[in-house]
Amino acid sequence: MSELVVDVRALRKVYRVTEREEGLRATLRSVFRRRYRDVEAVSGIDFQIASGEVVGFLGPNGAGKTTTLKMLSGLLFPTSGEARVLGRIPFRREHDFLRQITLLMGNRTQLVWDIPAQDSFRVIQVIYAIPEDRYRATLAQLTELLELAPLLSKPVRNLSLGERMKVEFAAGLIHSPRIAFLDEPTLGLDVSMQVRIRQFVAEYNKRTGATILLTSHYMDDVVALCKRVLVIHHGKLLYDGDLSALAGRMAPYKLVRLTLRGTANGVALDGYGEVTERDGQRVTIRIPRDSAAERTGRLVRDLEPQLADISVEDPPIEEVIDRVFTSERSTLEPVLTAR
Amino acid sequence: MRIYRALLVAQFQSMMQYRLQMFLYVFFSFIRPIIFLAAWSAVAASQGGRIGSFDEPAFAAYFVTLTLVTHITMAWNSFEFEYQVRQGQLSPLLLRPLHPIHYAIATNVVWKLFTSVAVVAVAIFLAVTFHARFDTQPWHIALGIPSVLLGGALYFTFDYALATVAFWTTRVHAATTLYNRIAFIFAGQIAPLSLLPGPLQTIAYILPFGYMLGVPADILRGGPSFEQAVMLVAGQVVWLVIALVLFRVVWRAGLRAYSAVGA
Repeated sequence: MSELVVDVRALRKVYRVTEREEGLRATLRSVFRRRYRDVEAVSGIDFQIASGEVVGFLGPNGAGKTTTLKMLSGLLFPTSGEARVLGRIPFRREHDFLRQITLLMGNRTQLVWDIPAQDSFRVIQVIYAIPEDRYRATLAQLTELLELAPLLSKPVRNLSLGERMKVEFAAGLIHSPRIAFLDEPTLGLDVSMQVRIRQFVAEYNKRTGATILLTSHYMDDVVALCKRVLVIHHGKLLYDGDLSALAGRMAPYKLVRLTLRGTANGVALDGYGEVTERDGQRVTIRIPRDSAAERTGRLVRDLEPQLADISVEDPPIEEVIDRVFTSERSTLEPVLTAR
Repeated sequence: MRIYRALLVAQFQSMMQYRLQMFLYVFFSFIRPIIFLAAWSAVAASQGGRIGSFDEPAFAAYFVTLTLVTHITMAWNSFEFEYQVRQGQLSPLLLRPLHPIHYAIATNVVWKLFTSVAVVAVAIFLAVTFHARFDTQPWHIALGIPSVLLGGALYFTFDYALATVAFWTTRVHAATTLYNRIAFIFAGQIAPLSLLPGPLQTIAYILPFGYMLGVPADILRGGPSFEQAVMLVAGQVVWLVIALVLFRVVWRAGLRAYSAVGA
């Protein structure tokens, strides 16, 4: 087994939030006496990551993914438990530690808005004390992988969201970190840009051997990049293991979305799977994964004259996890203990 | 030093985008001293040309040096800092191997260098128009320069410590407004500290605000005697030490609080 770079044991984070009821009276009262409520964002998780792994961190909004990444990168102080990254305690934020990590958040920027990215990169070079030859080599590599050449000399505020994300990636990686924490790196990007970013992350990991822990609520990101996934929900780790096992286990069905022609209002669809939504001409049917191809084929043949459009999709990850969490939790226990 | 050069260059480039803002700033830096200067000249004239140790040319000299000192020592980071915290821009900075305070210092220094030519022009204009008389000896300059730098460091440190209030609340504005109001009275912006009435004057020499603006301005115009000037500079050093300790404590506590709400 290669070197352990992330070691998380019984890690917890509790936020303190102020609470206030509606209305003027409550507002006035809260000036003098604040009421607090504790919110457990991460409740005792354990996992380890070895050097060079690409691990996907899956879960719906508010599951605790970002909180965990912030604890691992040193922004947040854990309420209890322990996180060690590269053998260090992240919250101390020792400069030597910070030089070896990066945290990229899809919705945050670290570039100076008004100046071209290449000027921001120079500042980063000096802050991280990157020697000139290594800086040039890394920048050349990033420029090639991300096709940055036409973007570097434009002020950042004139870049599109997708362009800016590419430049942010370069800014976050120009110091060649050994570990990259990527939080929703494809958030808000169009599909082709998502694909480009994924290709980049995969290629970057292959070339540099950097360890990558990536959160996303797009299943596609994770499928494309990660052999191993961690599923977190309500702050608890539900699954830690191979992605291939996860897909079948957590989403043993596919969604077939149909658009029917006007004449087909009353047509019976129950024979193909469970109809979960029916809104005029649009219908969603849940079909077991292992017979998806066969049943969809049958459906197309049977309904062909009335069928305007059809698509077969994986269910959204939030729905899958929520479903698993509420109804099938027991089936996950063996997987957790197996690892 | 290399880091600072890089930060300064980046800030400079960024600032070039805001030329109009700069023009407005310089324009307004005229207004305040002119108003107070005109007011005090009128009061002095009505009282036989003199209030305390100040005649009209001395007032003019004080407000000229005050304009320069205000320009050099001023800090406004509390505003920027709140914005950074609210917009989540601080978190990436915290993860770089450089304390965020250095970006603020760089912004501050560049802005001042950039506008300094215009401000010096304003000062010369005021000096000529209002017939300023400087009683400055060479040792006033020798003490005045460190005094201005100390004043700047003091202003900046207090302002940055105040800015960290943003770690606890997103309503920093209320705190800075209160702070600025108090500072306005006691910093020597309305009148030289030595002209404030009895108890106010005592308070003014105890509080830190005068050491940021009024004290260096008065030394540069040649106001205090040598012994007084040395005492005043010593007062600045004491306040700076207090400010730095305060900043360290507040910063650490603030980071914990920031962490508690989610950074």
